[in-house]
Amino acid sequence: MSFEAGAADQPGQVTNTFELRLRGDVHAISAAADSISAKLEQLQVPEEKRMEILLAVQEAFANAVVHGCDNDPSKEVRCCLEQYANGRILIVVSDPGPGYSPQQLPDPMQADHIYQDHGRGIFIIRQLMDDVSFENNGSEIRMWKY
Amino acid sequence: MDINVRKRSQVQVVQLKGQLRLGDAVDELQRTIDESMAEGDARFVVNLAEVPMIDSSGIGVLVRFLTSAKKRGGSVKLVNPSSFAQKTLRLVGVLNLFEVYEDDDQAVASFN
Repeated sequence: MSFEAGAADQPGQVTNTFELRLRGDVHAISAAADSISAKLEQLQVPEEKRMEILLAVQEAFANAVVHGCDNDPSKEVRCCLEQYANGRILIVVSDPGPGYSPQQLPDPMQADHIYQDHGRGIFIIRQLMDDVSFENNGSEIRMWKY
Repeated sequence: MDINVRKRSQVQVVQLKGQLRLGDAVDELQRTIDESMAEGDARFVVNLAEVPMIDSSGIGVLVRFLTSAKKRGGSVKLVNPSSFAQKTLRLVGVLNLFEVYEDDDQAVASFN
């Protein structure tokens, strides 16, 4: 899998890539996210930045497994990490689901949602990453960390 | 995730160690909460000093935990969340739903 950055970003050449696949099982998520974290550590990404990416990836995997795969272990989530020459990191997570419209998600910060026990994943990703976009009707999320 | 529960002055002190995130960790904490609630407990202290990261599922469990405890006349109070856990709880606006204390003693005493 390879991904092109938007022309406006001009991050330079890809210097490192890492790919993984995980089954549609919530119990597979932690190990997969930890392997991304280990790769970031190997790439000498600072700890705070690494923690922010790890949490964003954890949330993206959770959405992909629960909603994209319907918790079906026979289905598969794909992830690709790319580090660019200028240090920027792109992580793409895609699932086999029909997708969704992230614009229609309620704001978890609103008073009537603050006591909800769900609905914060995409919000967290948007807060922690520098640029987030969705492709393929929302079944693919592209997350940049500068 | 390691979960240790002990009772102090009619308050359940829940010590967590590890990442609180979707999967086994969230399942185990939810099971612990359900068992304790079933025994009639409603006053809880959750020590987050050794929880480096909490994801949205972990936040969901904590918020649901607080709501359930309050419905039973109790509460859930947090102790010493790690810096990244605290940052995440603040980011989603739930940190100020909880009383936060520096150590277990202060949190337990606050119930009296």
